[in-house]
Amino acid sequence: MESIIETFHIDWKLIVAQIFNFAVVLTVLYFYALKPLQKLMAERSEKIEKGLKDAKICEENLAKTTKEYEETLAKARAEANDFIKESKKEANDKKNEMLEEAKNEVKILIDNGKKTLEAEKEKMIAEAKKEVSLVAVKMAERLLAGKMDSSFDQRSIEDLKNIK
Amino acid sequence: MAKTNTTENSNTETGHEELAHEITLFAEPINHSKEFPITNALLTSWVAVLALIVIALFLKSKIKEIPKGIQNVFEIIIDGALSLCDQVTGDRKLSLRIFPIAISAFFFILANNWLGIMPFGGFGIIHEGEHGLSFIPFLRGGTADINTTIALSIMGVVGANIFGIFSLGFWKVLNKYVNLKALGDIFRKVRKDPTVIIVAPITFFIGLIEIIGEFAKIASLSFRLFGNVFAGEVLLVSMTALVAYVVPIPFLFLEILVGVIQALIFSILLVVYFTISASDHDHEEEHEHNEHSKNENNTVQENLEVLRDHGKKDAVVV
Repeated sequence: MESIIETFHIDWKLIVAQIFNFAVVLTVLYFYALKPLQKLMAERSEKIEKGLKDAKICEENLAKTTKEYEETLAKARAEANDFIKESKKEANDKKNEMLEEAKNEVKILIDNGKKTLEAEKEKMIAEAKKEVSLVAVKMAERLLAGKMDSSFDQRSIEDLKNIK
Repeated sequence: MAKTNTTENSNTETGHEELAHEITLFAEPINHSKEFPITNALLTSWVAVLALIVIALFLKSKIKEIPKGIQNVFEIIIDGALSLCDQVTGDRKLSLRIFPIAISAFFFILANNWLGIMPFGGFGIIHEGEHGLSFIPFLRGGTADINTTIALSIMGVVGANIFGIFSLGFWKVLNKYVNLKALGDIFRKVRKDPTVIIVAPITFFIGLIEIIGEFAKIASLSFRLFGNVFAGEVLLVSMTALVAYVVPIPFLFLEILVGVIQALIFSILLVVYFTISASDHDHEEEHEHNEHSKNENNTVQENLEVLRDHGKKDAVVV
């Protein structure tokens, strides 16, 4: 042991000095390099992980939203189509109904018109008959009051014959 | 012995040139402050510490959310080193606790190794020793001095045991070396399992061997590092002495590589020791023990085999 210590000049003072040196290195490296660097690296990887996760969620959300949007659009289209169809049908029905009504009304109007015309005609005929007969009587009176001769008689008889 | 050899060499050289750079096995003192010898290796270590502090402070000032330049380099190093640490410990939490010590050791050793190779050998003082004038360079690789490597290894082994106490508790660490529990088992389990009378003393004795093992760890760690780095310096100096130009260049590259590798080996071994002292051997043993009793093949021979396996494991680690 002695010879080893003598050969290598082992000196506890130097050993302590070197341990102190190492302690200084350890402290400085740990507090000034390792700790902040590791913290930073951990934070960064956390951030990246979170970013990737968020991006994935965003993508999923986007896909979901697009799908929902398309679904809603399709639904709206279908609804609109139905609505238009229904309205068309309703309008058609209404139109037919109105047409029918109008026809009926027209028919009634025409019927009424015909009836009044008929009545008027009959009335006119009746009036005319009455008038004619009156005229005839007056004429007869006038004729009779004027010239009452045989020629007249003859003529008027012939006229009367023609009148018929 | 080595000292006499080298001084003899230097004697012959000084005879020719008056001055010679002798390669000593130990670091030479440049100055004394009172009783404290300031060796060139210690000076190099101070330079290394200073350099590391400057780099750390510089890095601290440059740290940003978006990495750039030097921060990128250190982030890559930290990431790689941490995953290497994970491979040894097999547990991220444990790695994170051991990591600061291991990486500090790595950088400290690396800085010392590389400062030893740097071409500052020309600066030094001329010392008038017993054998005439000799040249003492200011800088000698910090790890090319056994005091530095011993300091690091003591720190590592003591640190590992303190780490073990913190993670397992004092009682378990104490039982690893002075296995009182095994002795107690003799009285507790002798009725159920008579073989314990033979097994327990062996277990106790293995505990005592572990104490020697800890010293072996210190020796192996310190001499491995010292030997490699010192050999590198000797190699470089002798190559330069043979042919001053070009020829030493490949060896310089080799030494740069050796500097990294030795720093890496040292720090990985630190991680291994820390991991071993943080893992609970008792638990495993009990588990195995239970399995054996389940099988009812609990013979003395098998127990001995288990113990031998454990011994082998420890031997491999040492």
